[in-house]
Amino acid sequence: MSDSTAIRRGEPLLRLAAVHKRFGTHEVLSGIDLRVSAGEVVAIIGPSGSGKSTLLRCINQLEPPTEGRVLLGGVAVEAGQELSRAELTQLRRSVGMVFQSFNLFPHLTVLRNVSLAQERVIGRSRKEADAVSMQLLSRVGLADKAQQYPGRCSGGQQQRIAIARALALDPKLMLFDEPTSALDPELGLEVLAVMRELAENGMTMIVVTHEMHFAESVSDRVIVMADGRIIEEGPSAEVMRNPKTERAKRFLQAVNDR
Amino acid sequence: MTELFGFWWEWLPTLLSGLQLSLAVTAVALLFGIPLGLILALGVQSKRAVWHVLSLFIIETGRGAPALILLQFTYFGLPSAGIALSSFVSASLALAWCTGAYTSEIIRAGLDAVPHGQKEAAAAIGLTDWDALYFVILPLALRVSVPPLFGFAILMLQASSLCFAIALPELVSQAYVIGSNTFQYMQILLLAGLLYAVICIPATIAVAALEARLGRHTD
Repeated sequence: MSDSTAIRRGEPLLRLAAVHKRFGTHEVLSGIDLRVSAGEVVAIIGPSGSGKSTLLRCINQLEPPTEGRVLLGGVAVEAGQELSRAELTQLRRSVGMVFQSFNLFPHLTVLRNVSLAQERVIGRSRKEADAVSMQLLSRVGLADKAQQYPGRCSGGQQQRIAIARALALDPKLMLFDEPTSALDPELGLEVLAVMRELAENGMTMIVVTHEMHFAESVSDRVIVMADGRIIEEGPSAEVMRNPKTERAKRFLQAVNDR
Repeated sequence: MTELFGFWWEWLPTLLSGLQLSLAVTAVALLFGIPLGLILALGVQSKRAVWHVLSLFIIETGRGAPALILLQFTYFGLPSAGIALSSFVSASLALAWCTGAYTSEIIRAGLDAVPHGQKEAAAAIGLTDWDALYFVILPLALRVSVPPLFGFAILMLQASSLCFAIALPELVSQAYVIGSNTFQYMQILLLAGLLYAVICIPATIAVAALEARLGRHTD
């Protein structure tokens, strides 16, 4: 499954150049430059309202940037550019996303949640899609929940199902938007374990998180955001232990004091 | 008392044929009106100005004008534009218009009740807008909309009594005819009212049960 990503490990996969996002007059992102290579795990930390979630949404065009350029796997999207349906589908196929509130489809079985896009977006047969979905559900340890409805599953299980759903189209890049923030610590652990396994298998990941231990131990690089800018970035241990900027120091101090 | 029952028994078949027609015109109005309501609900949210304005016009006229005016417009008004319709077709058209206008609001409320996260998740996994609507948003929206839609259907059956004004021989028209022949208006209208109640009260109870049932698997 991770063959294609493993082969190209280290090659540039994603580049953001001068990305701005404004909602009306409110500027949420003020010029983001970011490069991510295949196989890299990048953690984004920072205070609420610093633009972390919006940054993720700009990468897969859930929120189209107001200015700047997003390059993904050699395909560039300029701000303001009207994407064709095919281009948008291609983009969404190559980027999987996991949300803080899981956002599973409550009226569909767990299996159908994972199979739906495979059938509708890449034209797999129902049988084929279900077989792939069962493999993915086994991978996240939930094959026995296939016929249940998401509402019958715990939060941790729902988030693991959401990860399986995001993996279903073989994405090159996985975005995680505070995947454990809605979970109690124990349930968060089972989600982090799945993410750790993904990282070890060479998946390129960008993770917005408040889990400092995860950021330090799993990610290759940490990015600190504040007020719509990247204020600090570097190897995880370095940024977490010896932040250079005042703002990053203050944030990390606050997190560590909890 | 036995006199009353005897009178009722005599005229019950006539009223039942009227009731049948009331149900038929209501069914046709709903059959066309509810899909129209869905189209209008989507049309109002459309970014294309033409769709937005056209939908808004149909909704505002349908809700703004009393149903009686819509009925008279389609039956007495349209012939002057060269379109002469039978009373059944006019009634169906007017009530479908009214149904479309009101149910568009019910359906829109259902669409709005779908959490934004569901739309985001559908987009993030690459579904087209139509697929997202068909597989995710509509099924969730209809769970919210179906009970009030059935409630509206019950109201519509009662509103179909207005069709007596355009000479459609439905339940109330039949009751009036019988009343004017026998001068026993009170007795026959009472029976007509009972017939509406026999349908509407169980239907209301069924809607409440349905509402409870649809509440499952929604979170």
